[in-house]
Amino acid sequence: MSSLHDQMAATGKVKRSKDMPQGVGRLKEEHRKVVKDCRSQIEHWKKVENDYESLQDRLRTLPDKLSYDIMVPFGPLAFMPGKLVHTNELTVLLGDNWFAKCSAKQADDLVEHRKKHVKNALDDLQKVMKNFQNKADFTDDLEKLTGDTGDFVDIREKVINEEDVTKGKQRLAHKPNSKPKQEYLLELEDDKEKKEDDEERKTGVLSEEELWARLDELEREEELQDERYRLDSTDTNGEDTTSSSEEEKEADGGSDVQVNGHQKENGWVQSSITSQMNGTNGSHPEDEEDCDEETGNGLPTIYFSHTAEFKKVRINTGKNTTLKFSQRTEQKAQAKRKKKSGKTNGHSPHESYKFTSPADIYRVFVDLVNGEPIPRKSILKSRSRENSVCSDTSESSTADFEERRAAFGRSWSHDDTTHSDTSDGITEEESPTGTSPRTNGRFEAFTGTVIEKDPLPCSIPHLTIAPPALPTIPERKLEEVGSETPQEAPKRISKFKATRLHQK
Amino acid sequence: MAEAIQKKLQAELEKYQQLQKDVSKSMSARQKLEAQLTENNIVKEELGLLDTQNTVYKLIGPVLVKQDLDEAKATVSKRLEYINGEIQRYETLLKEMERKSEQHREVLSSLQQEYQRAQGQAVGKA
Repeated sequence: MSSLHDQMAATGKVKRSKDMPQGVGRLKEEHRKVVKDCRSQIEHWKKVENDYESLQDRLRTLPDKLSYDIMVPFGPLAFMPGKLVHTNELTVLLGDNWFAKCSAKQADDLVEHRKKHVKNALDDLQKVMKNFQNKADFTDDLEKLTGDTGDFVDIREKVINEEDVTKGKQRLAHKPNSKPKQEYLLELEDDKEKKEDDEERKTGVLSEEELWARLDELEREEELQDERYRLDSTDTNGEDTTSSSEEEKEADGGSDVQVNGHQKENGWVQSSITSQMNGTNGSHPEDEEDCDEETGNGLPTIYFSHTAEFKKVRINTGKNTTLKFSQRTEQKAQAKRKKKSGKTNGHSPHESYKFTSPADIYRVFVDLVNGEPIPRKSILKSRSRENSVCSDTSESSTADFEERRAAFGRSWSHDDTTHSDTSDGITEEESPTGTSPRTNGRFEAFTGTVIEKDPLPCSIPHLTIAPPALPTIPERKLEEVGSETPQEAPKRISKFKATRLHQK
Repeated sequence: MAEAIQKKLQAELEKYQQLQKDVSKSMSARQKLEAQLTENNIVKEELGLLDTQNTVYKLIGPVLVKQDLDEAKATVSKRLEYINGEIQRYETLLKEMERKSEQHREVLSSLQQEYQRAQGQAVGKA
C-alpha cells in the first residue's frame, strides 16, 4: 500500500510536467471514442429503419390475397407446407407487453409512427457525432498551436521607446485642449483680468490668428518631414494630388468619413489619423509590418518593430494606383500584395498625406488617365476589372465613384459633420483612440475607430450641418457630386451601389 | 503511527469504493427507467392511433389477456406516472450519494497526505 502511494505521488509529480501533451492525447482519445460510439449507434438505427421499410412493403402486399401457400416452420429443424390465412388481421406488439389486433393498414400507420421516432434518434446521433468530431479537430489544432509544429506563428512587437512611436510631435490642433485652444483661453483670461472690451476683442482675434499661424506652421513642418522621407524612400510611386493632400490638411476633420467597412480600409484609417496626428508616423496596425521571422521558444515568433522612418509603400491594388503612405515594411507589403494581383504605377511623389478620415485615403488613390488624376472607384479591387466589359473606365466611372463615395459619405458623414459641429472634427476624437493602441505597445488586428450610424438619406441636412466657416471637403464633394449626378442616371450603376442607393 | 494511518486509509478507501458501486447501480437503474419511459410513451401514442374496434391484449406471463382500449390507455398512463416518480426518487438518491462520495474523497485525500508525511518522517528517522 505504501509503495502504491509512493508511486502515486511520484507519478503525480511527473505528470505535471508532461501534463499538456498527455492531457491533449487523452482528450483526443475520449473524443474519438464518443465518435465511434455514435457511429455504431447510427449503424444500428439505420438497420432498424431498413427493417421497418421492408416490413411496410410486406404489410402493403399481404392483404392482396386471401391466403398464401407457405412453408410453415415446425420446430427448429423442419418446415411444413401450410396456408397463411386472415391476411388482414395482425396482432401488433405495441411495447411493454401490450398487443393490439389491427388491420394491415393500421399496422402500416403504426410502423410509420415508429419510423418517426427512429429518425429523430438518428438525427440526434448525427448531431452529437458532428459536435464531437469538431471537438476532436479542435483539440488537434490546439495541440498544433501550443506545440512547435504547425503553421501557427506568434507575432510580437517590442516597443522600446514610446516616443519613437508617436514621433514626439503631435498636431496640437487635433488634440482636445491642445495648445492653440489653451492660448485662446489664456488670452481670454488675460482679457478678463484687464476688463477692457476693446482690448478683449483684439486679443481674441489675435489668439485666433495665432491659432491659424500655429496650424500653418505645423503643416509646413509635416510637409518638410514628408519630403525628407520621400527622398529617402526607394519606392516613389504614387501619384498625387498635392492639392488634395493640402485640402486634407486644411480640412479640420470635417471631411467625410467614407468607411467602406473593410478592415484594410479601417487599418488605413487608423494609420491615416495617427499620421495626421503624429505627423510622421507611418506605422500601421500589424497588417503590414516588418517581420523578422524568428523561432521563439515554444512557438515560432515573428518579431517586428515599427520604425520612425517614413517610406512610401506601394499598395498593389491595381495599376495606376498607389497609396502614398510611408512605411518601412513595404517589402513585406509588396510580397503580400504580389499575391493579390495588381500592378502599381509610378507617380509623382509630391504628396504629404495628412489623413483626417478614410475619405482622404480615397483622395490619395488617383489614377492617371491621360495624364490627369482621376479618383478611383475602389482602392481594394484590382485594376483588371477596369478593362473588362462590365466596368467603364471613362469619366463616368469616376463620376460614379464620386457619387458612390459621396453616397457612402452621406451615410457616414453625419457622423463626421456632427462631430465637426461639436468639436474640432473627428480627428480629435479619434486621435486619442488612435494613439492609445499605439502607446499600449500591443497591436491588435484592427485598431481603427469605426463610427457607425444609421445612414440618413439626404444631402440637404448634410449641407446645413456643415459649418460654414471652414471650407469643408464634404461640401465641395457634394458640389462635385451634385454636378455629376445628372450625368449618372444614364450610366450603369453597379448592383451594390443600386441597393445602397435604394436603402438610402 | 504510519501503520495506524495506513489502516484508516484502507478503511476509508473501502467505504468510498462501496459508495461508488451504489452510485453506479442507481445510475443503471435510472437508465432502465428512462428506457421504459420512452417505451411507454410510444405505447401511449400508438394506442391513440387505434380505435375501439381493435382488441388490445396484455401479455401476462404466457397468456395474452384481452383488455379494453380505454382501460389499456389508463393503465399505460398510470404506469408512466409511476415511472416518472421513480426517476425522481433515483435522482435525489443519486445526488445524495454523489455528495457523500465527495466527502469521502476529501477524507481520503487528507488521510493520504498525512500518510505521506508520516512516511517521510519515518524515512527521515530511518
